[in-house]
Amino acid sequence: MKVLLVDDSNSIAMVVGQMLQDLGHEVVRAKDGKDAIAKVNENSDIGVVLLDWNMPEMDGLEFLEYNQKNKILSCPIIMMTTENKPEKIVKALQNGASEYIMKPFTQDILVSKIDTVVKG
Amino acid sequence: MISQEIYKYFADFVFKKTGIFYPEKDFYRLDSRINTMMKEFRCDTPDDLYQMFLTKKTEQMERFLIDICTNNETYFFRDNKPFDALVNDIIPQLQEIYPNQTIQMWSCASSTGQEPLSIMMSLKEKFGDSLNFSLKATDISSKALKKATDGVYSNLDVQRGLPVQLLVKYFESVENSQWKVKSELSKHVSYSSFNLLTDIFERNKFHVVFCRNVLIYQNPENKQEILSNIYHALKPGGFLVMGAGESLIGTNIQLEQKSLSGCMVFQRPKE
Repeated sequence: MKVLLVDDSNSIAMVVGQMLQDLGHEVVRAKDGKDAIAKVNENSDIGVVLLDWNMPEMDGLEFLEYNQKNKILSCPIIMMTTENKPEKIVKALQNGASEYIMKPFTQDILVSKIDTVVKG
Repeated sequence: MISQEIYKYFADFVFKKTGIFYPEKDFYRLDSRINTMMKEFRCDTPDDLYQMFLTKKTEQMERFLIDICTNNETYFFRDNKPFDALVNDIIPQLQEIYPNQTIQMWSCASSTGQEPLSIMMSLKEKFGDSLNFSLKATDISSKALKKATDGVYSNLDVQRGLPVQLLVKYFESVENSQWKVKSELSKHVSYSSFNLLTDIFERNKFHVVFCRNVLIYQNPENKQEILSNIYHALKPGGFLVMGAGESLIGTNIQLEQKSLSGCMVFQRPKE
């Protein structure tokens, strides 16, 4: 499955990208929300999005809002962030996130969250 | 180097207290436990620890050993299907047999609380406040019970099996990136200590018993005895839910095997 990994941190992108590749996924990296829109336009077969919250240019919440308005993606979006306050989580869910991964996390959590949203 | 005598002593001790059986070929599995005890009780060698147990064993030392030998690995909604079977099939069937009765449930190896809380969330999501029920949750490990009673879970704990929608609904964020279960859920669960091998079971008491991933660690005699006690603890028509892949094979327990919502469950015959 093709996974769009949206995170401005190179180290996070490297670690999570490696985890995803080990699981057999193809990874497309974007460094913020604006870059993610471009990557979506270039890749019509994205199966799931992993989306950081705090990023330059366009942050994760703004990307969710953009997607709700413009419907550029129909696949599940999982927030993957250090923002772990309930009100933030609720806000992300209200704006179209399907699941939420709080950093730091382990590979088994990544696997089960992706499984959950992909299998519906 | 740990001698056979020391291995045998601790293997016998754990078996008598918990029923968990370490055959001689698996004695190596005690290595890490013996090392953990040596650190806890400041012993330099396995022999020092052994002598300490022989000469001045305390209740605290016994409890510590039980805690580190019982497998507390668990997560929310483990295997999923039992919880679907509970709300979609078991409860509706019980409501027909026992109309207007409070549904009494028992999670008999509740570990750190994820199983009873998963049961509670499943019931709340399906029935709201319209179902009268009570849930007793027990475990042999005092350490596991303490965590269950506190109801406080780490960021990692709540990301294992628990959908985020249920996390924000039934838990509140507390200090140190932890989450505490809300009282609307925890108030329905009563936690207590229970040893499935030595404590006395209540009879004809429960409509549903969850006993998952416990009997796999027991020898055939203990499995028979525990299942027989659970049979009598169930009300007629009541259900036993075991772990995926667990069965009554090797016992003579007369529970009827049924597949509900893709989950194998065992029902005491209705009278």
